[in-house]
Amino acid sequence: MLAKIKEFSSKNNYTVMLLALMVILLVFFTITKAGTLWTVGTWKGIVMQFPEFGLMTIGVMFCFISGNIDMSFVALGDFAAIMAVRYMAAHTAEGMSNGQVAGVILVGLLIVTVIGAIGGVINGVLIAYLNIPPVMATIAMQLVWLGLSTALTQGYAVTGVPSLYTEIGHMMLFGFLPVPLLVFIIVFAIAAFLLKFTTYGKKLYMIGTNVKAAKFSAINTKGMIIGTFVLADIICCYGCMLMVSSMNSAKADYGTSYVMSVILILVLAGVLPDGGMGKIFNVLLAVVSIQIISSGVNMFSNLNPYHASLIWGGLLILVLILSTKFTGGGFKLRKSPKKNK
Amino acid sequence: MSEYLLEMTGICKSFSGVHALKNVNFKVRPGKVMCLAGENGCGKSTLVKIISGVYTKDEGEVLFEGKPITKITPAEATKLGIQVIYQDLSIFPNLTVMENLAINSEITAGKKLVNRKRWEATAKEALSKIGYNIDLNAKMGELSVADKQLVAICRALLFDAKLIIMDEPTTALTKKEVDALFKTARQLRDSGIAIMFISHKTEEIFEISDDVCIMRNGENVFAGPTAELTPQQFTYHMTGRELTDDHFIPKNVSKEPVLKTEHLTLKDKFEDVSFELHKGEILGITGLLGSGRTELALSLFGLEHPKEGTITLNGEQVKISNPIKAQKLKIGYVPEDRLTEGLCLQQPISDNITLSSLKRLSNAIGLIKNQDILDDANIWKEKFSIKTDDVRKFASTLSGGNQQKIVLSKWLSNDLDVLILNGPTVGVDVGAKQDIHALVHNLANEGLAVIIISDDLSEVVVNCSRVIVMKEGRIVGEMTGDDITENNILDIIR
Amino acid sequence: MNKATIKRITGRTEFWIFLVLVIMCIGIQIASGGQLFESSTVVTILRAMVVDGMFAMICLVVMVSGGFDLSFPAVAALAYALSTTICVNNGWCNTNPLIGFLLAIVIGAVLGMLNGWIIANFKLNTMIITLGTQTFFIGITMGLLELKEITSTLPVGFRTFGESYLFEVTNSAGLRSTMTTMFIPFVLLCIITSFVLNKTMFGRALYAIGGNEVSAERAGYNVKRVKFILYTVVGASAGFIGMIRVCMARQSIPKAMVGKEMTIIPAVILGGASIFGGEGSVFGTVCAVGIITVVSNSMLLMGIDSYWQDFFNGLVILVGVTVSAIQAMRRRK
Repeated sequence: MLAKIKEFSSKNNYTVMLLALMVILLVFFTITKAGTLWTVGTWKGIVMQFPEFGLMTIGVMFCFISGNIDMSFVALGDFAAIMAVRYMAAHTAEGMSNGQVAGVILVGLLIVTVIGAIGGVINGVLIAYLNIPPVMATIAMQLVWLGLSTALTQGYAVTGVPSLYTEIGHMMLFGFLPVPLLVFIIVFAIAAFLLKFTTYGKKLYMIGTNVKAAKFSAINTKGMIIGTFVLADIICCYGCMLMVSSMNSAKADYGTSYVMSVILILVLAGVLPDGGMGKIFNVLLAVVSIQIISSGVNMFSNLNPYHASLIWGGLLILVLILSTKFTGGGFKLRKSPKKNK
Repeated sequence: MSEYLLEMTGICKSFSGVHALKNVNFKVRPGKVMCLAGENGCGKSTLVKIISGVYTKDEGEVLFEGKPITKITPAEATKLGIQVIYQDLSIFPNLTVMENLAINSEITAGKKLVNRKRWEATAKEALSKIGYNIDLNAKMGELSVADKQLVAICRALLFDAKLIIMDEPTTALTKKEVDALFKTARQLRDSGIAIMFISHKTEEIFEISDDVCIMRNGENVFAGPTAELTPQQFTYHMTGRELTDDHFIPKNVSKEPVLKTEHLTLKDKFEDVSFELHKGEILGITGLLGSGRTELALSLFGLEHPKEGTITLNGEQVKISNPIKAQKLKIGYVPEDRLTEGLCLQQPISDNITLSSLKRLSNAIGLIKNQDILDDANIWKEKFSIKTDDVRKFASTLSGGNQQKIVLSKWLSNDLDVLILNGPTVGVDVGAKQDIHALVHNLANEGLAVIIISDDLSEVVVNCSRVIVMKEGRIVGEMTGDDITENNILDIIR
Repeated sequence: MNKATIKRITGRTEFWIFLVLVIMCIGIQIASGGQLFESSTVVTILRAMVVDGMFAMICLVVMVSGGFDLSFPAVAALAYALSTTICVNNGWCNTNPLIGFLLAIVIGAVLGMLNGWIIANFKLNTMIITLGTQTFFIGITMGLLELKEITSTLPVGFRTFGESYLFEVTNSAGLRSTMTTMFIPFVLLCIITSFVLNKTMFGRALYAIGGNEVSAERAGYNVKRVKFILYTVVGASAGFIGMIRVCMARQSIPKAMVGKEMTIIPAVILGGASIFGGEGSVFGTVCAVGIITVVSNSMLLMGIDSYWQDFFNGLVILVGVTVSAIQAMRRRK
């Protein structure tokens, strides 16, 4: 048994580290705030909040594994959400039946999907066909989407979300399963399935490790990169739609801080923008850990949300330094894979 | 004052228990060219790093100008007059030629500010050492490899170098450029500088060197004047085996060609290339660097797109637009550079082997079982005797020869008509080299059409039943059977 | 001027970016009916360039060395917010802002040292390290120290310094604009950066490391030390620039810097710096900042709703990176 644990931990450094982190966090908050931590309310809050950025994290994870990075996803998602909310607001009226409203909502979600796909195609084409370094391409696209949203809304929040939509967003299925969590579980399951059991997942890791070798192995690398951005950006847009249900509106700059927190979570989970590495299970652990930190910090009346950011940043630096010690520098990042001598 | 500039006796070095160097002895005379020869992984670079102070030796004695040197750092090596020109040349591609020439000596002099005039003077002085002329304001990254190399040599000369070590300087040079480099080397030699030249190319070693030290598996098996050796003896020392004259004799060559090109032309790369390839034969395509051999191979694999000429496959004219199309047409390609084009090093061996055959291993909607991948990989592991205990280990854990076997299995696990091998045994140790050759012979006899592209003439001679020689983008000669000898090829290639 | 020299000049990104700036200015001048080159407009645009231009300078030196700094806005925010808070609490800087500036510089340098220490000693992706330190510094500013916004209580010394001006211009409509004193530190920083990059061995070290780190080490540079000094100086400068911003805005808002890196870094890239390091110049960077500032500030002149500002900025940057990527592809062929 002990030997098995040893083998597991040597192979799954990150999983063990993240599990340990989670246990430490839970023990710490149990000691300091047992009364508040172990209540239904706190856990309801946790499971209601993390699906938003949890979805985005899963989306961006695909980009990272393929050796790319996406900085545009929140801006794109906000733009999609604004368009969808505008549509939904314009097509719902007093006295419509729930069925009719549901129809409008579905069209709204379709709009989100299409915009997400367009954003993904643009990112993918800029990177795969025009060879623009991913960071630069997606920062530029982030500004474009943000600019479009700002111009269209003049910086105001777009309201008029059908009440049915927010109701569904706050609904508890079977009395314990919030709809956002269900959405997260479904997306997580699909993502895990894609990575583990399909040729797409296999190819994705290989492309992330060495895109040139993948090309020489008769893999459609350009198509794969575009497809990956489409998938990632659609998922991220749905993350923004969860935000719409909790804020009851859409706005050009909702959730802009998620860009950095998502990257932080992924690095914490051992998924680096270098590509070819990372496990989706670790991403789940990291997402939940980050949420426990913010919820935990929230329980102290004298602390504000920025104390959580202090812990996140410190944690990330610590993990990075520790990982170079653990792996003897195996965590080194190739500066520029495209710069072949 | 000793007759020798550098004497090394009984040098040993081991890394975590593994002997990299065992009792190495050799001497370098001033004003002579000494070649350090040996196949990849024989300990050449370890030895160079000991001389330049990057590594410290475990045992042995180093005498420089007759004085013993016990511990040496890179900075001290420079002071003594030892300069190493590494394979990557240690240049700054983003700076100008002038800056590249002057920066090292400026740093060594502990300067704080930049004085353009002084830099320019230094740079000009450096160039004048070998009477080399180049635009000082050109960006280093935009120069040809040969020019970069000459700049690196000039830079080394600024430090009053007594010994210049060049690590495989000819790898990326065309024949003309090699000649120019050798001219410079002789010029330096005549001015009294000792040159240590690291190489594994027989021809070049005989052309340039006065003395030679041959290494094999961390030991030196020969050290002395080059004139004492015949090329045959030299090869024997290098590889540890007698050169066999066994040609590959194809057993069943098909009547109809499986692949045929007519007047294939790729601008600036090759022109009017027409040849036929039959099932069961091994066709060698050889030529110097820049002869268009690699571009021709890439055109057959869909990575270059010739504007003129036709490719016919099994009697049908085809257009190979990308590697995916090539795979569909049953053409496989083992690339030149294993590390950047052939493998995903930080991924399991199994995933590397099955990368091109995922479609076969998965079901209609792309679902795949990990066990199927492992099973398939294990089949190839057995078949090619890939030395690993677990195919789930990373490809980076293997030696060059075993890595090459992975790249081969990746293509052979597909159903192929044509297999193109570009430099199939570059950086592969002798044992694995023989394995790979035997394997290719079997494949041809089983009815595969094989193209070997290589500048290793002995490889071409032993393996190919027909050879096409390319020069400056054109086919300049073709030979079959007993006509294929190194001398015959060399006659045309020059 | 021989052919090679002309080719070298036209081959540089700086040349094109300057050309674009000139053509754009002329275009806007015509389209806006001659409003762009009105003295007051010019002064306003130059004023708007000060802070972004200075941040761009520190971003540039980091990028030249092959690094990527996401943390400079957080460093600046912590430095100025803490410095002003200390000044307010002690009643300092009511006539002379000097102590406040010194404090901010020291704080910035300390934070920069942390960046520098990690980056020099652990071979990690600088973008990810500075993402970590950025989050950490924001946490210190607004979590640990809970620094508050300082607006009306801002020490008078800062206020008067920020309001001081070099000269005043009046345009045809009688509108008066002042040229802020802060323009001097901006010009000075540009000159210093240019001097350091081109005329000192330290500056050449940055290019050398950005071009090929291994070669730089072999050539005899102490790469670790260079990096440590670089990030320390960058941190100190970030603190200084932050204070300039406080003086100009006449308020200290800890949150104001969040996300600033996302607009500065693209501008520096537009100006010819490469994210792979070893490329970039002060002139190109100033031109790029100029383009972006002119675009944002001339929207109203052109009769375009100012809400389109971000969109056009994004578009300019997108076109810029696309052109340079295509150029790089051509060069490789």
